Amino acid sequence: MRTRGSKAQGSVLLWTVVTIAILSLLGAEVLRLVSIKYEHAIQTATWQESLLAAESGIDLAIMELRKSLFPAPNHAWEGWNNIPGNGVTSYGLTTIPNAGLAGTPMTIEVSVDAPSSLIDNAGWQYYRIRTVGTMPILGSARAGQNRQDTRLRKLSLRWERFTNGVLTAHAISAPQVSRRTEAIVRPVSAFNQAIMSVKTLDLTNQNIVIDSYDSRDPFKSTNGLYDANKRQQNGDLATNGSLIEAGNAHIYGDVATNAGTVSGAANITGIERTDFYQEPIPVGAPSWPSINPTPYTVTGTVTLNAGAKEAAASRYQLAQISLSGNKTLTLAGNPDGSATYIEIHVTGNISVSGGSQIVVAPGVSATIYFDGNVDVTGNGIINSNNQPNDLHLYGVQPIDSSNRTVHLGGNGQITATVYAPNADVTVNGGGSSGHVFGSIVGKTVTMTGVTNLHYDEASGASGMINNYKIVSWFEDNRDSRDH
Amino acid sequence: MISSLIFSAIAMGLLMAFTALEHNYAATSDFALNHADQMRISDYLALDLRRALSVQAARNDTSIYIPNYYDANGNPQTPVLDQNGGVYYGALGSSVKVHYYLSAGTIYRQKDSTTPTALATNVQDFIFDVTDAGKVVSTKITFNPTFRSSGVAAGDPSAATAFYNTTLLRNKRTDNQIGVY
Repeated sequence: MRTRGSKAQGSVLLWTVVTIAILSLLGAEVLRLVSIKYEHAIQTATWQESLLAAESGIDLAIMELRKSLFPAPNHAWEGWNNIPGNGVTSYGLTTIPNAGLAGTPMTIEVSVDAPSSLIDNAGWQYYRIRTVGTMPILGSARAGQNRQDTRLRKLSLRWERFTNGVLTAHAISAPQVSRRTEAIVRPVSAFNQAIMSVKTLDLTNQNIVIDSYDSRDPFKSTNGLYDANKRQQNGDLATNGSLIEAGNAHIYGDVATNAGTVSGAANITGIERTDFYQEPIPVGAPSWPSINPTPYTVTGTVTLNAGAKEAAASRYQLAQISLSGNKTLTLAGNPDGSATYIEIHVTGNISVSGGSQIVVAPGVSATIYFDGNVDVTGNGIINSNNQPNDLHLYGVQPIDSSNRTVHLGGNGQITATVYAPNADVTVNGGGSSGHVFGSIVGKTVTMTGVTNLHYDEASGASGMINNYKIVSWFEDNRDSRDH
Repeated sequence: MISSLIFSAIAMGLLMAFTALEHNYAATSDFALNHADQMRISDYLALDLRRALSVQAARNDTSIYIPNYYDANGNPQTPVLDQNGGVYYGALGSSVKVHYYLSAGTIYRQKDSTTPTALATNVQDFIFDVTDAGKVVSTKITFNPTFRSSGVAAGDPSAATAFYNTTLLRNKRTDNQIGVY
């Protein structure tokens, strides 16, 4: 009995061992598979997150570029290396032990430079932003099962394929993954839309027409002037606020709000969007090394002469411009109408009423900064060039952030661009023909009467820079096997 | 006799259990590999779509045109502006064609006229959906699963394996002219 019992026990033991062995093998294989899958998932997730790091670097650079647009002191590029070379500006940044996936550090390297090949026809400099986002890889330095995974993600398990930006590998102590991007950003004019308001934008009349033309393009204008037969549909309206009262006006362009609504939208040809926000860059008071000493103020008929060079424009600082009766302020240039430049800083108000007027003579490109309010009636502002880009009106940001008003009316046709993000802007009339040519930025913008606004698309390439936008994006994922 | 029957029943049960476990393991392993393949294809497509200048999308055959960023030696080229303020690399109007196509269950990726690279096998289908005025591309990739339940009503078993990805075309969302975006 003892022998038979021992045999039976031995048989059971054998089966148990065999079963446990098989289950263990199966378990080990499952564990191996899960482990590989887990590592693959971690590596893939880390690879994805390193792109977030690289693109965050682009955001960081654009943020500094935007800061540089603000009046001084704007603290732009503080904490960045500045290594000018070959006549270009170059900024570099290496940061940031940041909280990435599972609390792992994230490193972002950014360099910004300004190649001479990136200057457009208007003389505006585009910037090149190169970034490297790096994340450490958790777990072992084991490559994936499929070599195409390696070709794609280029994980740096034992070797980093770049050394100081050059495609030369060097050994590393811990696995990581880096992704490299290159973005080109272009400056964006403050006059990138027909009308942009910080708050409400109100078109009060269904007979209002807002459209666009391009004074640079003979197919979109005639002799550089608006031609209704060549009307373009880029008369865009946008607001940082939540409401555009379109008033059933005829808008040949897009409209955009900040999570808001457009009422009276029956005659809008473009699209309606609700994801707009554009922080208006404040205009600081001009700081010029020298100004013309006189006049100090303009209350009567006066002629101010423009200078021959844009970089050395003739500059005036006036306490106010207050014209009434039949007084005329003439911004005069050369008799032959060749290009001249003038800049005026009015520290008080601008008022034109009665039969008075401001005349911008042929060839003169005028920029007027104003600290106070603007009220233009009478004969208005006569821009002899009929080009909005030859008359820019900039509202200087009040120190106390108080509100300003800008009223543009009068008998004359208004041809100008207006940037006054701290002012309630009202536009009416535009002369007997009811036409305004240009672009308007205001805290609120209200158009009254039958006023037609024709946006010159050339304004989008002139005036003050208000932002930077990405125009080219590329991920550089080369390695030594690709070429 | 009785003990033999019991032993046989237990052995049969164990055999069936191990067989089922092995099948399950094989199907799970196959699913994991195919899923990794899907992720690879999707990531390859997303990589090229993000930097695409244009996309000619068609079912199982899609061409993506990316900037001609590298010179003949594989080094980055200096960006240049055209007359309209657009950025290009290399010769004006040049680009690199990246061709994805499905052939006999295998997805290939081919840059210009170079030798195609097989990215994954056992792929049944990949579908492109271009939306938002060509600025966003959604992809759907399916494969033929090994593990299929006989208890489920007849249908396309690959439907449950669909892998989706939505990519914003960085170069297409920009606006070189004017506009609010």
